[in-house]
Amino acid sequence: MDQEQLIRQIMAEVMANLGKDSVAFQKKSPAAGGAIGKDQYPLGEKMPEKVFSATGKKLSDFSLDKLKSGELTAEDFRIAPETLEMQAQVAESVDRDSLARNMRRAAELIAVPDDQLLSIYNSLRPYRSTKAELYGIADELETKYKCKVNAAFIREAADVYEKRGRLKAE
Amino acid sequence: MRSKRFEALDARPVNQDGYVTEWSEVGLIAMNGPNDPKPSIRVEGGKVVELDGKQRADFDMIDSFIADYAIRLDNAEAVCKMDSLELARKLVDINVPRSEVVKLTTSMTPAKITEVVGKMTVLEMMMAVAKMRARLTPANQCHVTNLKDNPVQIAADAAEASLRGFAEEETTVGIGRYAPFNAMAIMVGAQVGRPGILTQCAVEEATELNLGMRGFTAYAETVSVYGTEAVFMDGDDTPWSKAFLASCYASRGLKMRFTSGTGSEVQMGYAEGKSMLYLEARCIYITKGAGSQGIQNGSVSCVGVPAAVPGGIRAILAENLIAMALDLECASSNDQTFTHSDLRRVARSLMQFVPGTDFICSGYSATPNYDNMFAGSNWDADDYDDWLIIQRDLKIDGGLVPVLEVDVVAARNKAARALQAVFKNLGLTEITDAEVEAATYARGSQDMPARNVVEDLKSAEDMMKRGTTGVDIAKALIKGGFEDVADAVFGMLKQRVAGDYLHTSAILTRNFEVISAVNQPNDYRGPMTGYQISDEKWAILQDIRQAISPESI
Repeated sequence: MDQEQLIRQIMAEVMANLGKDSVAFQKKSPAAGGAIGKDQYPLGEKMPEKVFSATGKKLSDFSLDKLKSGELTAEDFRIAPETLEMQAQVAESVDRDSLARNMRRAAELIAVPDDQLLSIYNSLRPYRSTKAELYGIADELETKYKCKVNAAFIREAADVYEKRGRLKAE
Repeated sequence: MRSKRFEALDARPVNQDGYVTEWSEVGLIAMNGPNDPKPSIRVEGGKVVELDGKQRADFDMIDSFIADYAIRLDNAEAVCKMDSLELARKLVDINVPRSEVVKLTTSMTPAKITEVVGKMTVLEMMMAVAKMRARLTPANQCHVTNLKDNPVQIAADAAEASLRGFAEEETTVGIGRYAPFNAMAIMVGAQVGRPGILTQCAVEEATELNLGMRGFTAYAETVSVYGTEAVFMDGDDTPWSKAFLASCYASRGLKMRFTSGTGSEVQMGYAEGKSMLYLEARCIYITKGAGSQGIQNGSVSCVGVPAAVPGGIRAILAENLIAMALDLECASSNDQTFTHSDLRRVARSLMQFVPGTDFICSGYSATPNYDNMFAGSNWDADDYDDWLIIQRDLKIDGGLVPVLEVDVVAARNKAARALQAVFKNLGLTEITDAEVEAATYARGSQDMPARNVVEDLKSAEDMMKRGTTGVDIAKALIKGGFEDVADAVFGMLKQRVAGDYLHTSAILTRNFEVISAVNQPNDYRGPMTGYQISDEKWAILQDIRQAISPESI
């Protein structure tokens, strides 16, 4: 897992130089046999044994009885990064690249707690943050949660806000 | 002395509406604006250096975002040089498949696509909508709200709306702190009427996301974007904050679409002298660039502005068409009230009703208009039979089906009782049997007993503090003996683990099968292709309760 993380980081840095919006992790899907496409869709119906929740539980094992017994909790109803990566590949297979990019940004954000996501969103609103504050948020996302694409996206926002005078007055 | 003819005309409802003449300098012009930029694009080293007559150094925030994220660049320069009239003809031509058109339209600049649809009549645009709508099967969405924020009534109205065929249901609030109750009520009610209905609660952005994260809602829609930077600032957002919000929703497995519409910029006083349609095109490109799967557009809550200028209703259809041409889900408005004239409100809706869109209304008021908290709707519960009979007259599928009074009464009653059980088992304020009875037979909130608002708000706040989730709602339903409804809530929660309904134009069947533009793309190619009303469906659509059968005579 560590090695994969390292490779992904190197890949991201290389690709960042090619243009920020083209950063995409072609991560090998957890399902054997390469890329997922529209033929595997809907994943929840066609391959539920290969879809796992963020907590690692298999979708095909989900049942109302398990919810009733408490075996399934609210935390189990959260999507996993690997699933969003597969959905991004489905989107690409039907030429929806920007939707795929959004899904990959989202995959990174799964690890970020609810409250923090809400607070970052508020910081991105106009006149809320200084450039340093936005860069600080980007650094934290990158180091603490490995949100490489989102960090680049927030730095880019900070630069645009600076150019357009939409930062908080210092 | 006055002409009696003109006196009679002056008294007609249509003359209670407001109209203005075009004034292009301030943006009071629907489309084909004289000050709209001429299309242009120049790409150097994979980066847009010129967009619609502006150099990169002069880009505002919106130009930058569109240039960097929203346009397919490999063919953009070539498409921009193509004849706009020829491109408009391709949009209408049944011999050019949707997939081929999308390759061209997604390579266009905002000014180019505005110029292209500017060559089309409404009839041609309707033909194009029939082809360009992303999902094969059209559907509809409703509003479920009331003046008193009465959750029991919301549950009952939601159940009835599900039975009537709406695929999505949206609530909002009069009092902000009622949001958790309203969100819970519409979800429980909708699942009673028909499992698999997607529900949302339109409130302030952060609250809306919070409700979604907890599993109180399945999707969000009120993520507004604007066509000029000044209005975006007034809206307290930027393309980057909205794109980040889109990713937040997807990270929690929640469906989401953006919202925009012609007229918002001129209404807020910053149209920069551009036509409403050109500015709306910019909104749709922001939506595309942010990676939202879709958009609610068609002027929406600003409909009074385009409706007052010449060609305004044409521009509304044009903006829907641009959304579809950019391969986005389109919830095509037909919501806020804009006219006193019944003729005008039908004519406005036929533009989307006849060809069919992903959601023809967004939404249709599932209550009488006095209870609609989105400032009224072009269609409401008192029009249910009119909608059904127009479907029957024209043999079109507008997303609704005829229902029997006995079934509606039973569904309303069950929804009210299910919510009563949820409230009881979550330790919330009491829902009395008298309220259940009233909601079962109510037309609107005038038929409902008053609730103790102070107690409700306190109870809702406590519940949020306790961290109650959708799982707790399912458990409360099981405890109350509503295992089938719990199973439907469970089915909705499961969707967010798979994420299949994050794709373009996704809705769910009663068995939680996902139908979207991925597995059921629109393949219209002229007569007897694309979405066809099946014999079974046609039998259902024609079977209205008012019809006299030969056997009965």
